[in-house]
Amino acid sequence: MTNSSSSKKHGQDQPELSGPTPKSHRTKMGKSEDTDKKNLGKKLKDVEISVPIVYGNIAFWLGKKASEYQSHKWTVYVRGASNEDLGAIVKRAVFQLHSSFNNPTRVVESPPFELSEAGWGEFEIVITLHFHSDVCDKPLNLYHHLKLYPEDENSSMSTKKPVVVELYDEIVFPDPSEAFLSRVQNHPAVNVPRLPPGVTLPPPIPVEDASKRRKGDTKDHPLSQWFTNFSEADELLQLAAARQQVYTTQYRQSHL
Amino acid sequence: MDAKDILGLPKNSFPPQEKKSRPPKESQRKPDGISREVYALTGGLAPLMPAVDSSQLKRRPPPDEKVAWQWLGFTSSARKDNLHLYHWVSSSVRVVNGVPPTGDYSFAKYNKSVDITRYTDEEYEKYLTDPRWTKEETDQLFDLCEQFDLRFIVIADRFPSSRTLEELKDRYYSVSRALLIARNPSSVDIAAHPLLKEPYNISRDVERKRAMSLVLSQTRQQEQRDEEVLAEAKRIAQSRIPAKVSQESEMAVAPNAGVEVTERTIPGETVSPPPSNAQHPLIPVPPPLSTENASTLASLRILRVYLRTYALEQMLQAASSTAGLRTIKRVEQTLQDLGVNLKPRVPTKAVCAEHLELRKEILTLLNLQKQLQYKEAEGLPFREGSFTETPGTPKDRTFVPDSSFGGNELCTCNLIYLLLGILSTFY
Repeated sequence: MTNSSSSKKHGQDQPELSGPTPKSHRTKMGKSEDTDKKNLGKKLKDVEISVPIVYGNIAFWLGKKASEYQSHKWTVYVRGASNEDLGAIVKRAVFQLHSSFNNPTRVVESPPFELSEAGWGEFEIVITLHFHSDVCDKPLNLYHHLKLYPEDENSSMSTKKPVVVELYDEIVFPDPSEAFLSRVQNHPAVNVPRLPPGVTLPPPIPVEDASKRRKGDTKDHPLSQWFTNFSEADELLQLAAARQQVYTTQYRQSHL
Repeated sequence: MDAKDILGLPKNSFPPQEKKSRPPKESQRKPDGISREVYALTGGLAPLMPAVDSSQLKRRPPPDEKVAWQWLGFTSSARKDNLHLYHWVSSSVRVVNGVPPTGDYSFAKYNKSVDITRYTDEEYEKYLTDPRWTKEETDQLFDLCEQFDLRFIVIADRFPSSRTLEELKDRYYSVSRALLIARNPSSVDIAAHPLLKEPYNISRDVERKRAMSLVLSQTRQQEQRDEEVLAEAKRIAQSRIPAKVSQESEMAVAPNAGVEVTERTIPGETVSPPPSNAQHPLIPVPPPLSTENASTLASLRILRVYLRTYALEQMLQAASSTAGLRTIKRVEQTLQDLGVNLKPRVPTKAVCAEHLELRKEILTLLNLQKQLQYKEAEGLPFREGSFTETPGTPKDRTFVPDSSFGGNELCTCNLIYLLLGILSTFY
């Protein structure tokens, strides 16, 4: 009730790019007048949760141990961008491999969400992320082309230095439920924006203790030395410089 | 690498490598019998149609056989009168006892006719009577139908009393339908018969023919007027849709300053402009980017979960839907020149927002540049005119220096300020 109307007024302050359409607005207001039970399922407007992830593969050439059908040992994975535990958001990950593999549908029930295999071919892997029930009931697909051989054809393959391909992306939940929000509001793997004024969340339901949580993160992962550190600072700087140039050119053009 | 070659293992992923090795092999081979250059004319591939077998060509010169001809009699099953005719038969057709074993006249099989169901008099009395038709007329109709194989135009022409073609058709088909139903009481079998599935509808047929003749007889002027009216209606409908969208979303975000979509050309028709529902008269097509954003965000919301890169793509598509392909390419070229990744490497929320803003700014810049070019082009005839004419009014004189200044100094001004801009970002 109050939060929806206030969010409409303070539309400029919201982290979201735009406000909701009036029609859906009205239906949400009606829903919020329900009992406490339903309040947990209530969605907050103008609050989006994003989970930065990195997914990709690391492939090692087996050198003299390589056989005709198994020349590389590779690991495909999805990890938190800062190596935090994704288990609070992702319930399980399903890796769909090439049909030539035995049991090409591999399910990983707990973090770290990764899969290691040996083979010789590059193909597209479909990674389906299934979320916990309070997060989202719809799964999300990631598509990754497995890379085993180095870009530069002339460079020699070494057993010590693997081929690493990592891609940064963010999982966005545009209308998170209050339960989800309260559960992850202080989770290191999740970006929760500043809540609209006047909104308080119920205290999080304690699920697991800290020691259990640590196991799912990839900070001490054996392959962590090959992980890329994605920083948005460089990109932002690049974009800011470009915009500056465009502004000055525009200014001159419009005043001629 | 060398070990792989020795072992004969594929170098890279399995599908692409195989494809690469196949095409070079195919163009090397060529069929024997024709020279290499002639084969190359076909594009290096065998023709689809089997060419004439060359061995058969050699055989054609006739062998030294003499063909004998016989004068024989024949009958045709197509005739009902047992007429005996005679003709020449060549000896290449096997003849026994002077009578060819083929039997029937070879063209008799082409004597096809339409199956017309005829009724008996009792059937007529029971099922087929109609106030508008006498039995005599109906009999005449059916005789003609049989004689002329249901070619109604001919039948209508020869029908003794004056009846329209549609009336004749209607009578024939309704009689046939009634007969069909009467003779086959179990309707299941005949329900699929065309007479029952698609019955002849006389009023619809008449109307259809009238409409067609109208279309055929339209003069060119009428055609043009129809086209204009349709085009105008389409434009009105289109201008109503974005006005509806902008009303529904009720966005408070003002459209970006200076974004004028000058790429839209007004359709070259001599009709008055469509009634502007909510738009500024100078901007032919409403370009509020805020409505595009709103609808994209709404569609993303419906997904309940999505990837940031996917959202960025959707926004880019929405933004570039108003721009042509060439403009998009120019924007991308500008991005590359500025040293920006076309697809951000670290697509966080802030980075994506900045990226979209940058693209919008570049678009604005390109539009400004284009406008400047147009203005220069407009200034050109004035400049040339003032050289040939005697010094005219003061108005001409003052106009000329301005445009020439803009034209010549433009490039250098830009460069100077660009450099200044780049330098300022580093200090």
